[in-house]
Amino acid sequence: MEKIKKYPKNLLFWLFICLWIILLLVTLLLPVETCFAAVIKIGEINPLSGRFAKQGIEIHQGIEVAVAEANAAGGIGGMQIQVVSRDDQSRPDVAISRAEELCSWEKVLAITGGYVDSLVGPIAAVTQKYKIPYVASASLQKELTQHKNPYLFRVSKLQGFVEPLCGILTEQLKPLRLAVLYAATPGSTELAGELEKCLKKQGLKIRMLEKFRPGTPDFTPLIAKLARMKIDVIVSGGFTPDHILFVRQLKENRVTPKAYIGPFGIAYESFIQALGKDADYLYSTCAWNPGITLPGTEEASASFVNHFEKRFNQPPNTTNMHGYTSAKALIVAMQNVLNKQLPLNGENIRHALTLLDLVMPMEHLHFDAQGDPEDYRHVVVQIQKGKLVVVYPPDRASGHAIYPMPSWEQRN
Amino acid sequence: MWTTIFISGISLGSFYVLVALGFALIFGVTRNFNLAHGDLLVLAGYSAYWLWKAWAFPFVFTFPFAILVILLVSLGLQRLFSRLRDPIELNSIVLSFGVAILIQNSMLFFFSGNYRLIRVPILSQGIRISGFYVSYSQLTLLLLSLVTIGTLYMLMYRTYLGKALRATIQDKDAAALAGINVAAMGTLSFCIGAVLIGLAGPLYGCIHYLYPSTGHEATLLAITITIFAGVGRLNGILLAGWILGLAESLTVVLCGASWREMVSAVLLLTLLAFRPHGLLGKGEG
Repeated sequence: MEKIKKYPKNLLFWLFICLWIILLLVTLLLPVETCFAAVIKIGEINPLSGRFAKQGIEIHQGIEVAVAEANAAGGIGGMQIQVVSRDDQSRPDVAISRAEELCSWEKVLAITGGYVDSLVGPIAAVTQKYKIPYVASASLQKELTQHKNPYLFRVSKLQGFVEPLCGILTEQLKPLRLAVLYAATPGSTELAGELEKCLKKQGLKIRMLEKFRPGTPDFTPLIAKLARMKIDVIVSGGFTPDHILFVRQLKENRVTPKAYIGPFGIAYESFIQALGKDADYLYSTCAWNPGITLPGTEEASASFVNHFEKRFNQPPNTTNMHGYTSAKALIVAMQNVLNKQLPLNGENIRHALTLLDLVMPMEHLHFDAQGDPEDYRHVVVQIQKGKLVVVYPPDRASGHAIYPMPSWEQRN
Repeated sequence: MWTTIFISGISLGSFYVLVALGFALIFGVTRNFNLAHGDLLVLAGYSAYWLWKAWAFPFVFTFPFAILVILLVSLGLQRLFSRLRDPIELNSIVLSFGVAILIQNSMLFFFSGNYRLIRVPILSQGIRISGFYVSYSQLTLLLLSLVTIGTLYMLMYRTYLGKALRATIQDKDAAALAGINVAAMGTLSFCIGAVLIGLAGPLYGCIHYLYPSTGHEATLLAITITIFAGVGRLNGILLAGWILGLAESLTVVLCGASWREMVSAVLLLTLLAFRPHGLLGKGEG
């Protein structure tokens, strides 16, 4: 009886010892390989889950393509790039802890990624503390770069939206009654304020300026108000879900403005797929798209599209390109540091970023004294038969705007 | 315009009612504070979306499938909840929070982070009643919420089963002493709750939109309406939903869209201050 009882105990004991031996061997053998392979560690923080997961994943994909391209071309100075990726769960507190982890524990040389100012801001504050350069992929708020954080660079800026919007409204659409609605977020609020300033300068009056919470479940009362005021052009600073709901409820209530412009979240294939034919005639702005690229960068753009499609089996969009551009800026800056035979550290990478002059499909990238891109400029697009057509500025237009858009009754 | 505002307020309120009913019933009977409620709702929407998109099922036929999916998930959830010990409310919050994250990430994995919309062309059309335009989606919301509340009312107040459920809501221990199988009532409430969520989910995907993390907004909405109506008071849900919907719609027109949430919060706090047991509560402890 005793033997029978002891047997399983002994078996467990030996199994336990075997596991320890395997674990020991694995830990002893692994570093042999990794110690000899020199790598350059860069960090990436994105909202890979939570409410900004879609955009975070898209930026992450763009970064992945940029790093894969660089590694395939031999890396930086013969060293492969290793991206240490972290998810901030769309929460600023988590973004801070992930940035702390990357800077202090992982000892990354630089950080990229980031979507929306509420997440980019906290990351920038941490990287400044550790004197580690941070190239943000998608951030707009002016205030962020006005704090004289020499380690923060970003590939987008608010003026890139304001100028084309102001241009098309004053030069082409010339509405009699314009409404500017904006979401209660820093970027959208600032966009509305800057647009108002620009339009005022051009002599165009805004009849209705109203804030709403992103994710509002019903726009019908607001639509009734717009209809009563006979608003002919609506600029809505909401995001993809707000536009989906707004446009659907415009249709339900048979209210057709002459134009509906949504600077954020409309110029996406997924948006067009979600709304189908109802997406036609809507306006948006766009920094890049597979068919819309900075003149002279067609080849680089096609190469990115090709690499992206091979890797993810789907066409890229403008958010992917923002991730790609930010990672590429960092990689080129690091390469420039090594070309000058300087040590690869935070200070030298920061300095190389200030001198960067890089032509990318999305923009001609060089940063101003605040770390903002000097030439970031969107084009205005209109969805026509499910496709994005550039309608402004005239020198980049690929078609004519259909204005006013046909009423819902005419479409059916 | 005021008629449009009234219709929109009532239809928004009806939408709130459909979102909140399942939560209110389950919380009333079992005292399980299900933070995964909204995620189950979105899951029901995604189930319907999948059937509609991949198999081109007519929208109406997606409801039974969504109900079935949520029924299975809810029964699994009920098994987990049944293992909880006191304090049940607190423990259920912790457990359901974990379940919510699990469901959210599963949806993100299977349906990606793209916004999805079930497009039902007929719902974006409408009719004129006495000169006023009402869209079919508003009518659907109103009718479905009335039919659901009516059916639930009949079940609760006209059947023996309903009597047993109400007894469990009022006092679990006394109900058990009276010979009512309290555990079975818990399972039953989960099943009815699942049917209600399965009914609301596809509509959510059609009238709202689907995104893996939108569930928490629906959960918050359900909690607000349940508190507003009074915990365990299903007949107050309709009134609570309509009052909130109308208040929000009127606020947008009179004060502006940015005041909407503020007015809802003030309304809720005022109610809690003067009627802590909810709209139809009688002040019993």
